[in-house]
Amino acid sequence: MTALLEVRGISVSFDGFRAINNLSFEIGECELRAIIGPNGAGKTTFMDIVTGKTRPNEGQVLWGEGSKSLLRMNESQIAQAGIGRKFQRPTVFEDQTVAENLTMALSAPRGPFSVLRWRPSADSAARVAELAAEVGLAEHLSRKSGELSHGQKQWLEIGMLLAQDPRLLLVDEPAAGMTLAEREQTTTLLRRLSEKHAVVVVEHDMDFVRRLDCKVTVLHEGSVLAEGSLDHVTANPEVIEVYLGRG
Amino acid sequence: MRKPLVLRHPSILVFLGVLAVFTVAVTILSTGYGTGPISTSMVKTLGKTLCLALAAVAMDLVWGYAGILSLGQMAFFALGGYMIGMWLMVARTEGIVTGTLANLPIPPTDTEISAAVATQIFGVVGSDQFPLIWAFSGSLWGQLLMVVLVPGLLALVFGWLAFRSRVNGVYLSILTQAMTLALALYLFQNDSGLRGNNGLSGLQNIPGLDAVGQEKLSIWFLWASAVALGLGYLLIAWVASGKFGSVTRAIRDDEARVRFLGYSVEGYKLVVFVLAAVVTAIAGALYYPQAGIINPAELAPIASIYLAVWVAIGGRGRLYGAAIGAVFVSMLSSWFTGGRAPDVNLGFYTIKWVDWWQVLLGLSFVLVTLFAPKGISGLVDWFEGLRPPRRRGAALGPDMGSLREKEAVE
Amino acid sequence: MRLFLLALAFVALALPFAAQAQSPDLGAVIAQHRDQIEKPSRQSVGPVIEAIAASGPLGAALLQAWGDRLLAIRKSDGLLVITAPDGDGLTLTDAATGAGLGAAAEGDVTLLRPNSGVRGVISAALAGNALSDPDPKRRIEALDSLSRRADASQLALLRQALDDPDPALAARKARLERLLTIQYDPDPAARITAIESFGGDSGLDFRASLNPILTTRRVALEQVPADANIARKLSLGSDLSRDEAYAMLVADGTAPARLTSDAMRATLAQHIADGMVGGVSLAQLGDQAARDRAYTALETQGIVQPAASEAEVDAALSRYNFLDLYAEPDADVTTSARAALRGTETRIGLMQAADLSLDALSLASIYFLAAIGLAVTFGVMGVINMAHGEFIMMGAYTGYVVQQFITDKTVSLIVALPLAFVVTFAAGVALERLVIRHLYKRPLETLLATFGVSIALQQLAKNIFGTQARPLTSPAWLDGALTFNDVVSISYIRIAIFVLAMVFLGLYLFIMNRTRLGLEVRAVTQNPGMAASMGISPDRINMLTFGLGSGIAGIAGVAIGLFAKVTSELGSDYIVQSFMTVVVGGVGNIWGTLAGAALIGFLQKGIEWFNPANTLAAQTYMILFIIIFIQFRPRGIIAAKGRAAGA
Repeated sequence: MTALLEVRGISVSFDGFRAINNLSFEIGECELRAIIGPNGAGKTTFMDIVTGKTRPNEGQVLWGEGSKSLLRMNESQIAQAGIGRKFQRPTVFEDQTVAENLTMALSAPRGPFSVLRWRPSADSAARVAELAAEVGLAEHLSRKSGELSHGQKQWLEIGMLLAQDPRLLLVDEPAAGMTLAEREQTTTLLRRLSEKHAVVVVEHDMDFVRRLDCKVTVLHEGSVLAEGSLDHVTANPEVIEVYLGRG
Repeated sequence: MRKPLVLRHPSILVFLGVLAVFTVAVTILSTGYGTGPISTSMVKTLGKTLCLALAAVAMDLVWGYAGILSLGQMAFFALGGYMIGMWLMVARTEGIVTGTLANLPIPPTDTEISAAVATQIFGVVGSDQFPLIWAFSGSLWGQLLMVVLVPGLLALVFGWLAFRSRVNGVYLSILTQAMTLALALYLFQNDSGLRGNNGLSGLQNIPGLDAVGQEKLSIWFLWASAVALGLGYLLIAWVASGKFGSVTRAIRDDEARVRFLGYSVEGYKLVVFVLAAVVTAIAGALYYPQAGIINPAELAPIASIYLAVWVAIGGRGRLYGAAIGAVFVSMLSSWFTGGRAPDVNLGFYTIKWVDWWQVLLGLSFVLVTLFAPKGISGLVDWFEGLRPPRRRGAALGPDMGSLREKEAVE
Repeated sequence: MRLFLLALAFVALALPFAAQAQSPDLGAVIAQHRDQIEKPSRQSVGPVIEAIAASGPLGAALLQAWGDRLLAIRKSDGLLVITAPDGDGLTLTDAATGAGLGAAAEGDVTLLRPNSGVRGVISAALAGNALSDPDPKRRIEALDSLSRRADASQLALLRQALDDPDPALAARKARLERLLTIQYDPDPAARITAIESFGGDSGLDFRASLNPILTTRRVALEQVPADANIARKLSLGSDLSRDEAYAMLVADGTAPARLTSDAMRATLAQHIADGMVGGVSLAQLGDQAARDRAYTALETQGIVQPAASEAEVDAALSRYNFLDLYAEPDADVTTSARAALRGTETRIGLMQAADLSLDALSLASIYFLAAIGLAVTFGVMGVINMAHGEFIMMGAYTGYVVQQFITDKTVSLIVALPLAFVVTFAAGVALERLVIRHLYKRPLETLLATFGVSIALQQLAKNIFGTQARPLTSPAWLDGALTFNDVVSISYIRIAIFVLAMVFLGLYLFIMNRTRLGLEVRAVTQNPGMAASMGISPDRINMLTFGLGSGIAGIAGVAIGLFAKVTSELGSDYIVQSFMTVVVGGVGNIWGTLAGAALIGFLQKGIEWFNPANTLAAQTYMILFIIIFIQFRPRGIIAAKGRAAGA
């Protein structure tokens, strides 16, 4: 298996505090992976580094077949290379309609001049409608997304991720603030997504991770503590100590 | 299958209609072509106001749509004026000088004419040679090109530097303010090549059109300004609609999120900034021939802040709001400061509006910002029954330039 | 001349003894030298003058009158009298006794008219006399006038009067003697020794004495004399343009003038015949080539003088050497003088740098004062206050108003400083309560709203105080300057502002780090929610912080008003620079503001140093520098670090 994303020995510190400490990580094509860890383990910082928001002090982040370094790219270039990110809190453009949000996310040339020339076509309209239906927002296409409920915004954001059609999806605590039914739906969606995309899910909730039924990476104090199936890692005494010892 | 732009946004049609009616009405009532109740100087004021409205529309693209509070827009406006002023001044002085020299027994050579023109123009700053930047001043087309190129390049370089290093929010505002201040201070020097604090003057005289007379010229310029405003409005409305506008507004509300969608925020900001600079420069190039004089004081930071104030009073984020704000405030301002507003006698004190207008403007601006962020456009929304969303005070995005609750429409 | 000076020196040295030996009776002296007084000659008059001078104040008065051509002989009795013009006639005084002789007509006396040589000896004697006067005041006066109008004749006098009971005066005399030696001593070796004795002295007087030695004049010579003291050989094209060089030859009359286009035009105009000049029709003459043709035609007809052609110009230029020659013939002296001047220039450069640093320091203090209030409101609270400049203005006007009621400048200043704080503190709190409170987290709207406040306040100030500048006079003890030497000095007012800036820095640090208020301010800045849950009211803290920042602006206003004009635009002159200071320094850190103020102050003065004539250019380049600086350090010199910075 060739790795889609390979992170090698990255470290980053803020004001002397080491948020990520010599972390290495790998994920292959169409793989579903859960990352768990206590607060402050460096989960969000890890995603920040991969998506280009934060620059590591050392280490390498390599991407795709050509093992291109992501460190020299900015956020938008990384996103164009095929890495999508879903934030913990739903972030959609609240002053714009659901359709506009989805249209913006549709995979198409991203340069300002191509966008100026871009015209909606039958295809693009159909694709937007299809995506909206998939995330249950078909009736809300012309509503401003700011008026949607919290859960609907989460779904809209997932819809935008689908529209982007990335090769790797980074999903930050997707189940936060969802009802039980919505969680079920999310699990199903993530599992289905992982058939065509690589998906990394950062999550606190063990039950949710169990339902994902995938390989799990445990982060602690900025580095990998354990890796394997959920049963395997939960049997690891160090993991138990980190989780239980800290409460 | 898609409806044309103006039908998708009826406000464009209304705006263009009002503009056309206004222009025709002024023409009919003018001294030059009509019955005459509107004086030539009033026609000029109205023409200038249309140019200011165009600058305000461009400002709205930058601030209302892209969320960049640029406090240096008038630098582009004045640069446009300077560029066209260079040609106007050279061509007119050349006409005068050639006339004088023709009386001599021996006809003048080109070098002699050029030297005499240079002495005439630059004598006031103690020079008798054309500076290098006047290389194209002899050619109307050259200078027209400069009207677009010089401000465009300045905006490109400045914007590239500023956006690349992700200077935004208040910092960017202060930086743009510094830009216009630096340019103004530079132009104030006598050796800046643009006649220092004398500026360029006599711009109301259009070379070759001396026979036409100011009362007719003023109408020509009114039409030119109206056409420019109409076209500029259409252009900016087109840019601000559709997907480009969508991305731009998204940048205003949450630029980090736009980056994660794969759009290069810097590129979009740069396109918007340069486009607005060019449109503003064209507005300036039409404004100053009507004003007759331009000097570095026009670049003072306060002028650009006023532009932002007009947009805010009109209601930012909607182009007609910006135009209305510019027209309303600048006309009101000239009414009050022109001494036409009646004094208010309070018994113990008489309020002379010439002295108190600025106080009134400042305070009403504070009130608009606090209580009616939609400005005059709020009236339009009220008329159409549109209400702001109920968000318990939360803005529509995390960024500084994002729409406020009361600015948005449900 | 040289001999004469030596002789004079000898006489001067010998005379004091002679004078003591002789009776100081002026009458006798006059009688003895009567013929010399009436018909003096420069060569022999010396001893006579010395004898008169030695006789005391009466003698000095006689010499004074003699030198001023007011000494006369009364025709009636041949008495030597001093005349003074009085209306149409004269008033006479007996030269020997000083007794008044009443009025007389001009025809009653024969005025003595000594030639300029004699008068020179007289005036030198008078000065030399004063140099040794027992009254130190007169010695100082004489020395002052000597140093102002030094010439060769005084060198000898000075040398013989070098001894002085007052050591300070003796030192002055010695210094002046060396300066005069540099300029007037006949012996080059002595001059060089004198030059070298100054070492790297940077005194203005020393430089002034070197400059005449090093003055040059520009000459064009066919043959360079062997003994010419050449400062520089000029090469055509680089040191001297061909046109300038040729103009020199024309001015010397050694080459014919070149034909200017104006002259050619005038000449052509004189020879118009039947609409033609030299066979070229007038209509064609709007072209240089056609004019040349016409002129050549006139030349060949012999009607006009041939003008110098390019080839002739070249030939003339190549025949001549263009040189800068020293006025001073002795090469050793000029070399030594040049070396000395270079030495002093280095030292002076250093001192100018020191002086400039003082200037920059005071400018930095001003920026710091203007910006520190802003650093509080913008840096700590993230609030842009465009009306900050108007708070500075309010402070300055407060100072002005206080001076209208309290005339004693010192007392009024002491009253004005706290009062300005109170006034602007109140204004700041009002602004915070009424406007800014509603716009937290909306810095751009805050900027625009406070701009509205700013224009309203400015216009209000205009309505109340008028548009003309109001004086805010500083107390007398702040006038004047602390002078270190000819180059380095700083006015007391600037020192006071520097001190004030330092006091504020200390005060700020004290409030922020040592008081309850500071603790609460820091808590609210870092985490308002947490602070609120611990019982700190962010509302109250924001209000106080804003008031504090505004109050400091008011005090800064008083300080700035002391040296700047108090007008309604006072604040807007400083607002952009203040923002720059805060932004360049780094937001939220007082040391950053200090660094920003220092950077901007030193930078502005530094640029002014390169281009002293143009302060506008200095400001332009400074702002450009800041714009570029922000590119590389968007968060300022001292940047807030860590995760919080990204928020």
